[in-house]
Formats: sequence, structure tokens, C-alpha cells
Amino acid sequence: MTIQTDPLGAAGLTFFSKISASISHEIKNSLAVINESAGYLEDVTLMTRKGLPLDPERLGALASTMLKQVQRTNTIIKNMNRLAHSLDEDYRRVDLGELGELMAHLSERTLVTKGFRLTLTAPAQPVSVITHPFFLQNLIWLTLNFAMSVCGESKTILMAPSKNAAGAEICFSGLDRITEEMVQDFLAQGGRLLLDALNASCHTATGQGRLTLSLPEDIHQLKAS
Amino acid sequence: MRILLVDDEEEFVATLAERLSLRDIEADWVTSAREAEKIADTRHYDLVVLDVKMPHMGGRQLKQLLEKKMPGIKTIYLTGHGSEEDYKAGSAEAEYYLMKPININDLIDKINDALAT
Repeated sequence: MTIQTDPLGAAGLTFFSKISASISHEIKNSLAVINESAGYLEDVTLMTRKGLPLDPERLGALASTMLKQVQRTNTIIKNMNRLAHSLDEDYRRVDLGELGELMAHLSERTLVTKGFRLTLTAPAQPVSVITHPFFLQNLIWLTLNFAMSVCGESKTILMAPSKNAAGAEICFSGLDRITEEMVQDFLAQGGRLLLDALNASCHTATGQGRLTLSLPEDIHQLKAS
Repeated sequence: MRILLVDDEEEFVATLAERLSLRDIEADWVTSAREAEKIADTRHYDLVVLDVKMPHMGGRQLKQLLEKKMPGIKTIYLTGHGSEEDYKAGSAEAEYYLMKPININDLIDKINDALAT
């Protein structure tokens, strides 16, 4: 029997599963903080019953910790929900500033664990294109993973969406060790597939440590050569 | 018995240390591998509880460094990350591999078991 695989679908599933694993890890961390705070409250309740005095300052700090963690988890779940709903429509107008922010949140744990930092420069004016949101998120995630492998000593990756003549672009910089050969490997390992699906293109300024994804104003537009 | 807790979630690790001290277990805590290395130069620990996934250096790499400084130190891994691969590797390397959130009594049982061997 031969198993038929759809490369674009497989890339999407890999992306979705990696993000899901990272999100579940984050939620578990948050639950662990709430669990210890609640446990401590239980401990002090027992001690109070034995006649030891309550420390209102400490109780207030615990309440504040728990509220902060609930807020943190809520944000994580909201972002997870936004990612899940990005498959609702094949094509729609996407605000690249908002999408960049979502991807920065979703990728944060992966980047931080590996010692990297992502700085998103929000565009001065809203930048949007008609595109496939999920494929674009997948491409950004793949590009961020590639960016970590070619990032300079500062270990800081800069991501900046902006308008261009064709529609819009997302520029990744800080990639001091980037070479044309590495970009070709990145394209061969899934980058090209997603660029084609998005009718997009990729440009590299190796001397300046920069890689730019260029997106048409409308995904159905003929690709500029 | 003196134990060291290493986890980048400060509110988690600080509260856990406080709860252990209420149970007469002396526990220091730090939030990075770098701090753990530093404190291990000044104090001896019988057991270390390590978060597997931390920025810059994870628990598995830190364990190797701490073992060089304190041969025979016992290790318990603690993680929110639940991959099968990590679980297998972590269980083989450490005395115990526990998933967050944890029950403090379970953790104390594992600490006692690890130190008894």
C-alpha cells in the first residue's frame, strides 16, 4: 500500500502540532503557578486553624499571582483560538500587524527556550493583504525557525511588516549568518511550497542579514517576476 | 537534607520552596541554569529539582554540569512539556520525571525515595 501525502497539508499539520505542544506547555506552567498558590492558601488555612496569625500582605500577593496567571492563560487560549479560526476561510483580508503580533506570541516560548528574542516592529499605518491566513502563519513560523539558525550574536530577530509596491512585505533582520545557500535549503525544506501557495516571493540581502517575504495585494493576482 | 529548585517560572518555584519549608524541607530556588551553577559553587545540595525546558540552558544539560560539581547528587525533572521522547529520555536520566502541576505530597514522596536509594 502506498500512503499519499499532501505536502502542504503535512506542513500545516506539523506547524499546528508544534504550536499546540508549545501552547499546552505554557498552559501547564500557568496551572502549576495557580496550583502552588492555591496549595499555599490551603497550608496557611491549616496553620491559622492551629492558631498561627494570617499575613494579609502574603494573601494579597497570592491573589494577585493567581489573577495574573488566569489572565495569562486567557491570552494563551485566545491566541490558540485565533490560530484555529484562521482556517475558517481560504482567503480573506489579513492585517499583517495583527498577524505578526499573533505569531510573535505563539512563537515566543520556542524562541525564548532556545535563547532568542523576537522584536516586532508594528507598521505605522495598518498593512493588509488578501491572502490565506493559515499558510501565511505557517510560512512566518517556518521563517522564524530558519531565522534562529542564521541569527547573529545578539540572538535578536527583528520582524517588520510594511507596504510595498506589489502589496506588502514582512522583513526579517538580524540574520547575520544568512547565506544564499542556506536560503535555498530553507526554500527546499518547505519554504518554497508555502511561498507558491501564497503567490508570494522571497528576497535575501545576505550582506545585510535580511530576508524579506513579499506578498501580493491579492493572492489571486499574477505573481510579479 | 538540602534541595535546590530550578525553574524559570519564579512565582511557581518561590511558592513551592515556601511550601516545602513549611514541611521542614530546606529548599533554595533559582530561576536559571546560570544562577544554579553559581549557587552550586557555594552550597552543597543532596537533590535538585530541575525544569526540563528553560531559556538558554534546559534541565537536562544543567544536570550534567551540576553532577560534575556535586557527584552523586540526585535529580528530579519537573516539566509542563509532555512529549513522549522527552519523557523517555528524562526518565532514563533522572530519579523521577514529574509533570506539572504537581501534588506537593507526591513530590515529597519522590524526594524521599530518591534520597533513600
